[in-house]
Amino acid sequence: MSGALVPIAWIVVAYSLLVTVAAAVGLFLRAPRPRWLDQLAWMLEVLAFVLAVGALAALSDGRPHELSTHLGYVAAVVVIVPIAMLSVRDDRGPWSSGVVAVAALATGVVAVRIMMTR
Amino acid sequence: MKSEPRSGPHLVLLAVYALFVLAAGARSLVQIATRFSDAPLAYVLSLLAALTYAAGWFAIRRAAHGRPAFARGMLWVELGGVMVVGTLSLVKPDWFSDATVWSDYGQGYGWVPAILPIAGLFWLHRTHPRTRMDTESERA
Repeated sequence: MSGALVPIAWIVVAYSLLVTVAAAVGLFLRAPRPRWLDQLAWMLEVLAFVLAVGALAALSDGRPHELSTHLGYVAAVVVIVPIAMLSVRDDRGPWSSGVVAVAALATGVVAVRIMMTR
Repeated sequence: MKSEPRSGPHLVLLAVYALFVLAAGARSLVQIATRFSDAPLAYVLSLLAALTYAAGWFAIRRAAHGRPAFARGMLWVELGGVMVVGTLSLVKPDWFSDATVWSDYGQGYGWVPAILPIAGLFWLHRTHPRTRMDTESERA
């Protein structure tokens, strides 16, 4: 399973960068946050969840060198986007796209850290 | 003066502060719980950084509600912490057996720890410019 973890993590990283750029463009254009950006963010959450399940399944192949740190990253990768989306649920202003950009970028960084601590 | 917070740059600042509470807090708690004796100073400083970010989040939120006094102090404290720890980590590396969140001015986190308080102070200056009345009321 750990063999499949790396491709999944890279898909999460690439997709998170796409969401980050889309959100940053929305902020740059000072446009209200579009519905499709929410859908992109929730799709990222689905991918992050798949990555977390994959990371947990890969534990059966061997214990990571720093297990607690690795599990911390696995937990973080699934909670970042929902917390961010919850915090801007009543706000569709341009700056709420900035929050989505921060959350998507952080999810990508944590996906990289999951690979590094595996 | 109290007012309802509006959508604005503070939303992004709050998101980054919340991320750093999570990142620095989880990192320091794991390090303190699993290998505190390896680098006690570094791990306590990372915990201090996490507490500073929690206070910074609260300060930005208060400022967005029209009460900027706490943020005016807190953001300078945070910037001072990054500068002091960052400089010490470069000139006295033997004091730090392991990296802290603020080592090398936050290089391990893309220098965001150094940029964040400056961005916060810039936002505060733009949204709550100091007036003579503010200065006099703070002195009183």
